[in-house]
Amino acid sequence: MNGMEFAGHELARASLDHCVKCTVCETQCPVAAVTPLFSGPKFVGPQAERYRNGESVDHSLDYCSSCGICTLSCPQGVQIAELNSQARAVMKADHMPVRDRLIGQTTLMGKVMTPFAPIANAALGNKPIRTVVEKVVGVHRDAPMPPAQHQSFEGWLKKRTAPTAKPTRGPLVFFHGCAGGYFEVETSKRAVEVLEYLGYEVIVPKQGCCGLAQQSNGLFDSATASVLKLCDQLRSAGQGLTIISASGSCTGMLKHEAHEIMGVTDDRLADVAVRTRDIMEFLLELHEAGELPTDFRRIDMTVPYHAPCQLKSQGIGMPAIEVLRLIPGLTVVESGRACCGIAGTYGLKKEKYEVAQAVGRPLFDMVRQTNPEFALCDTETCRWQIRKGTGAQVEHPIWMVHKAYGLSD
Amino acid sequence: MTRVVVIGAGIAGLTTCLRLAAAGAQVTLLTKGIGGLQLSQGTVDIFGYAPHRVGCPLEAVGDVARDKPDHPYAVIGAEAVRTGAEFLRDAVGPDLLTGDVGSNHQLPTAVGAVRPTCLAQPSMIAGECRDGARFTIVGLRQLKDFPAALIAGNLARTVLDGGGRMSARHVVVDFPARDGEADSSGLVYARAFDDEGFRGRFAELVASLVTDGEVVGLPAVLGLNDRSAWRDLADRIGHPVFEIPLPPPSVPGMRLNETLTAAVKAARVRVVLGSRVTGVDAEPGRVRAVSIAAAGGPRKFAADAFVLAAGGFESGGLVLDSYGRVSETIFGLPLAGLPEAPDELVVGEFWGAEQPLFAVGVRVDERMRPLGADATPVYANLHAAGGVLAGAQRWSEKSGEGIALGSAVRAADAIVEESE
Repeated sequence: MNGMEFAGHELARASLDHCVKCTVCETQCPVAAVTPLFSGPKFVGPQAERYRNGESVDHSLDYCSSCGICTLSCPQGVQIAELNSQARAVMKADHMPVRDRLIGQTTLMGKVMTPFAPIANAALGNKPIRTVVEKVVGVHRDAPMPPAQHQSFEGWLKKRTAPTAKPTRGPLVFFHGCAGGYFEVETSKRAVEVLEYLGYEVIVPKQGCCGLAQQSNGLFDSATASVLKLCDQLRSAGQGLTIISASGSCTGMLKHEAHEIMGVTDDRLADVAVRTRDIMEFLLELHEAGELPTDFRRIDMTVPYHAPCQLKSQGIGMPAIEVLRLIPGLTVVESGRACCGIAGTYGLKKEKYEVAQAVGRPLFDMVRQTNPEFALCDTETCRWQIRKGTGAQVEHPIWMVHKAYGLSD
Repeated sequence: MTRVVVIGAGIAGLTTCLRLAAAGAQVTLLTKGIGGLQLSQGTVDIFGYAPHRVGCPLEAVGDVARDKPDHPYAVIGAEAVRTGAEFLRDAVGPDLLTGDVGSNHQLPTAVGAVRPTCLAQPSMIAGECRDGARFTIVGLRQLKDFPAALIAGNLARTVLDGGGRMSARHVVVDFPARDGEADSSGLVYARAFDDEGFRGRFAELVASLVTDGEVVGLPAVLGLNDRSAWRDLADRIGHPVFEIPLPPPSVPGMRLNETLTAAVKAARVRVVLGSRVTGVDAEPGRVRAVSIAAAGGPRKFAADAFVLAAGGFESGGLVLDSYGRVSETIFGLPLAGLPEAPDELVVGEFWGAEQPLFAVGVRVDERMRPLGADATPVYANLHAAGGVLAGAQRWSEKSGEGIALGSAVRAADAIVEESE
């Protein structure tokens, strides 16, 4: 069965009848809180699902950002977000906007922009160009965009002086994701340096996109192809090795979303899913096993931390907070806000941009009040959104670990 | 430092976490979803009916402890209930819970009944049902869960315990929370009432409809984040106002849940939301670890002590299958209160008699450790609190929060004591 058949006919219906209409999901939904355009997860999810028979009954469904807070907070275990992502894919199947096809091509975007970084950055900062892009493609003129980098992560790996010390802890696979390969290159570098500092041999196989952006836009066939190709690439690095990533949302795609939303049951995915760890989750596991050196340098700083939706929805808590609390002097303040608004590619779209900004506003205020200069967040698009919304430097939590080990100032 | 895993994020789980963390334990909270506290009325019931209307809940707890050896209060005792209720009240602060643990308020419900409850939110207190009270119940045309005419009608025909009466009338105003919205949830209204301008316009309208000496009853939607919104509204109207809790989404329940959850996080409890506990690693007499079904595979949590606060039937902590078999879903604990035959679980008139089904649960010792058939603890380091405890008719006694708080205190204090 392909992904669309799964979405159209199977759905997460096994969980549907567990809904007791308690409204917990309604109260947590960050989109319904700011716009009447979305009627809320319970209404478009477990309720509307009963009436769907090939036809969509509630088009406000398209305003769901797929943040996943509804599933995460449901006390009855109903897979509300998964139901909604599937129903949206079916609803859009016969009239998929060109914009939604393009916007999921994240690797392509990085490949095209990196060699022309100055030009690309100038174009992204250029109001008339962005206005044309908005009119023609449907990407909002003010939507946050990553700055193109002069060097890709792969380029850095090739040119750097590899560590000379012999690994003491064995090999790990590093999965950088599209953004970590082309835009958030510095985070990937620091992640690898921390792992090497801990004594691991870090293997970085050639790798493509996980397909998350295609999945969230309802392009299940291409997303399934992407994620399986990636599984092959990651598996090629060695059997049974732990796969570490600093891309919180791509990790979620591998761990559960491809399986739960698109019905991918391939053994290759299952194998990768159980071996994948978010880097902060991995460090916390080491700490709990008594294997994480905690001779951290003191960092006197108060820093806001926002746990991204796609990391929260992995059901592992907030490992970054636990790890960063080990650093003396560092005070980490959890945002306590549901979502930054961007939700992958949602907040880029011209019709959703204002909604996404409204969703993010309480978080932006929290960041400004806590530390207007510097904040932490585990996923790339969320960082771009928070940077744009606050003007603060927003980095991955691994930056603090890197610094606390004395690997950077 | 003692490591404790607490399972469940309702009032029992959250209170246990906070009390353990305050005593210096290293606490991890595992929860499938957001707990039931936010679905509650945002008040604390200790004992409401015995079966007469109770004025002094702790006295009733003492009576039950003496007369009903199978009731959870028999092992919890009135003192732990008092400690738990006061601990919660102090933890969330006077902006959220007020009252004397020794006496019940009598407050109107959303169908105009008079409900005994012990601690209530300050925004509800002006609704105290006493002889000579004069209420105007103000309904909102766009809020369907608040039938103002029914509430006022029922309050007006109620004869209070001492023989007193209240007068009550109703008005319904046309005041949408959002332009053009004909049917809004209480939550949408609560967010609107957080806005000062919205409150100002509403107060002006209501002020024109009430007469001297009337107390204004409103749906419990007077602000979600702004805890003084109701006070501001009362000042603007120039009359005392009170909130009447609605069916979920319950705004007072959300206020309580969010404040208590924030306190738990601030106390450095590690909160893992969204993963069900699916595995138990135990040796005879002792639990070593539990595992959760996180994305991608199970994750194990080892600890020195465990607290089962996953609730009863409403949350899936207890389940009843189609053969009439009841089971506890996480540890598979032995259950007490089961009748001889499965068809005796639900008896007679549903709303009349005590229902054996609702009293099914785990029986515990004074340290809240679940007991086996031989009356000894199943595991030396497993404790239980809240809705999973056997022996109570919480829905008719109105004893749910009292049992949760008392057992939370007993369980947490036992763990702390054992670690010393």
